[in-house]
Amino acid sequence: MNNLLRQGQRLACWLPAAAQQQIHTTAVQRTFWEREKKSGYKTKLPEPSKKQLIMDGLKDLKEEIKLWRKEVKEQFESDPILVFRPGETDVVFDFKAPNVLDNWTVTTDADHGEGKSTASLELSSAGAGLFHGEVNSDHTKDGIIKRTGYANIRTKRVRKSFKRESTYDWTQYNMLIMKVRGDGRSYLINLHTEGYFDLMWNDIYHYVLYTRGGPHWQIAKIPFSKFFMSSKGRVQDRQSAIPLNRVTHFGFSVAAKKGMDGPFGLEIDYVGLQYDPSHREEFAYEMYQTPKYIVAT
Amino acid sequence: MLRRAQCLLRLHSHGRQSVATLTRHRSYSTDEATPKQNPSANPNQRAQKPARNLPAVRNPFAAAQDRTKDTYLTMVEIFQERDVHRRNHVEFIYAALKNMADFGVERDLEVYKALINVMPKGKFIPTNLFQAEFMHYPKQQQCIIDLLEQMEDFGVMPDYEMEAMLLNVFGRQGHPLRKYWRMMYWMPKFKNLSPWPLPDPVPDDTLEIAKLAVERMCTVDLRSKVTVFQTSDLKDAIDDTWIVSGMSAEQEKLLREHSRQKALYIEGPFHIWLRNRRINYFTLRADPDTQFLAQLDERQLDDDDVSNIEVPFLGRAPPRRHNQLGKLRSVHQQDDGTILAICATGTSTKDSLLSWIRLLEANGNSSIGEVPVLFRFTSTVPAKAEEIEGPASVPATSNARSSKDESPSSRRE
Repeated sequence: MNNLLRQGQRLACWLPAAAQQQIHTTAVQRTFWEREKKSGYKTKLPEPSKKQLIMDGLKDLKEEIKLWRKEVKEQFESDPILVFRPGETDVVFDFKAPNVLDNWTVTTDADHGEGKSTASLELSSAGAGLFHGEVNSDHTKDGIIKRTGYANIRTKRVRKSFKRESTYDWTQYNMLIMKVRGDGRSYLINLHTEGYFDLMWNDIYHYVLYTRGGPHWQIAKIPFSKFFMSSKGRVQDRQSAIPLNRVTHFGFSVAAKKGMDGPFGLEIDYVGLQYDPSHREEFAYEMYQTPKYIVAT
Repeated sequence: MLRRAQCLLRLHSHGRQSVATLTRHRSYSTDEATPKQNPSANPNQRAQKPARNLPAVRNPFAAAQDRTKDTYLTMVEIFQERDVHRRNHVEFIYAALKNMADFGVERDLEVYKALINVMPKGKFIPTNLFQAEFMHYPKQQQCIIDLLEQMEDFGVMPDYEMEAMLLNVFGRQGHPLRKYWRMMYWMPKFKNLSPWPLPDPVPDDTLEIAKLAVERMCTVDLRSKVTVFQTSDLKDAIDDTWIVSGMSAEQEKLLREHSRQKALYIEGPFHIWLRNRRINYFTLRADPDTQFLAQLDERQLDDDDVSNIEVPFLGRAPPRRHNQLGKLRSVHQQDDGTILAICATGTSTKDSLLSWIRLLEANGNSSIGEVPVLFRFTSTVPAKAEEIEGPASVPATSNARSSKDESPSSRRE
């Protein structure tokens, strides 16, 4: 609905004042089809010149071929990991690795002029990634935005060579392991499983990361079975266990809900995966038979 | 009825215009109120004087003087009893929702129930398939959905009585019911999820919050003890305040074994959140014992290394260093430093921290007197740390009090 209103507003900006009085400027949307993945929040950046594009493309080509060679080599070697030893953590996102911050995107509600939160991701003095900033639930009272105050980090889309999109395959694991040092706030862990159709573009699996706070590091071990699905911030009625072979992004969110406006800081050493044979649960939430025409309405 | 009258009196207790306000408040909208006050006035006359037109809907909650739950409920009661039709009840509920925080009732289930009770029973239940499918009485349904959403935002869990009320108003096909069922599915699941449960609401007293915060941080070591010191116990402390200090037996041992030549640092202020309360805390930290940590790394064997396999038939290999008994790594010996104690003080000043060290020394950690203790007010962000390190931005190091503070540490050296 917000999307509709935003589009309407934009249209209204283009029209002259006289026309605005006569023409109803709200965009008519007859279907739920979405034009692009950002649902109206796509920032139009100025396109570089054609010459620049060619130069950048050639530069990228070099890297992409390197990546492709690696992929082909892996294919020929055909030496995949088949045995996942219990209790061993395989690190996926390591903040000690070089250029690690390039892989992450930081977003806040201020990006689209809807709020006043600030956030950044940098390396802390301990050598870990520090997601910090200030969340603020104040916003311009434009009558459309009701609640704001969030900050978010997300990895870039996992891809193969030549910018082909791919997904993580974590089916062999059943635990998410994180070494973090928080500030007592609870953070939201987001596992995006972006699908092919527009209906599945916003599928995100969530769980809460409670941080102890204090100077000690904390290792959080969260089973994947606990993650529940939501879309555009709404928990969905039709739930299912997370498809671990279709994870596209990973991220953390923090919100200024319930008067928690103020600074936050989450230090992340690594995010890893583990296989724990003693954990047999597939999905933590019971699946009731619901009456017809009630679910997902 | 008696309570209502009392509350009305309290509401409009300011003398001269009490009767006027009474009538104005009781008549909820001016569209109704105007004909009541001057029944002779016809619509044409009103149109001639638009400047005197009052807003269509007056908000009785904004005008209330006594902002308590009793008043709030009375106003809902007054609205209900005003007439049979209960016109503008949707607007009334929205106004009531908006002003909940002012009355301090935003976490009160009873109040939400009273608001749902404003809705007429049975009128909005769809009687045929089409009504059920196309959201019968959408404004009213959306209003109650918004009410439920506000409950969700404030973490108020509904109960089964509310389900019965909603069923009476909207029937089984109502959208508010769907929202209610979703809430009753998910909210109990998330309510007690936190491994560090907190009282609800969190106490207002700073000392109580500080105790909770230090206790929470100390859950890392089960043998931790949280003590509350008073600086007034010391002879020449400037601040008269409390200090909540958390230290475990293991930390005491680490402090005893700490080299007298190496400095300890008091670092902070860091902050910890307990729901929506923030508390500053300080740590007593030593540099990491790199020698010990490196030795631990040496003990770790590479399981994937196949170059040196032990064959039991060829005699037993001489015992390696990792088989020998050694010191175990404590949880407080982190890679970036050894945490020796945590504290939160009432004033968060340098003086109170100095008192903390002296109190620790007096309470069984005599070795701290022989070790140089340095203050380092830092931040985890490197850029910010440099900013604080700069002489201009740290008033504490440039004034007279800091030199007084540093003298004991130099004495220790």
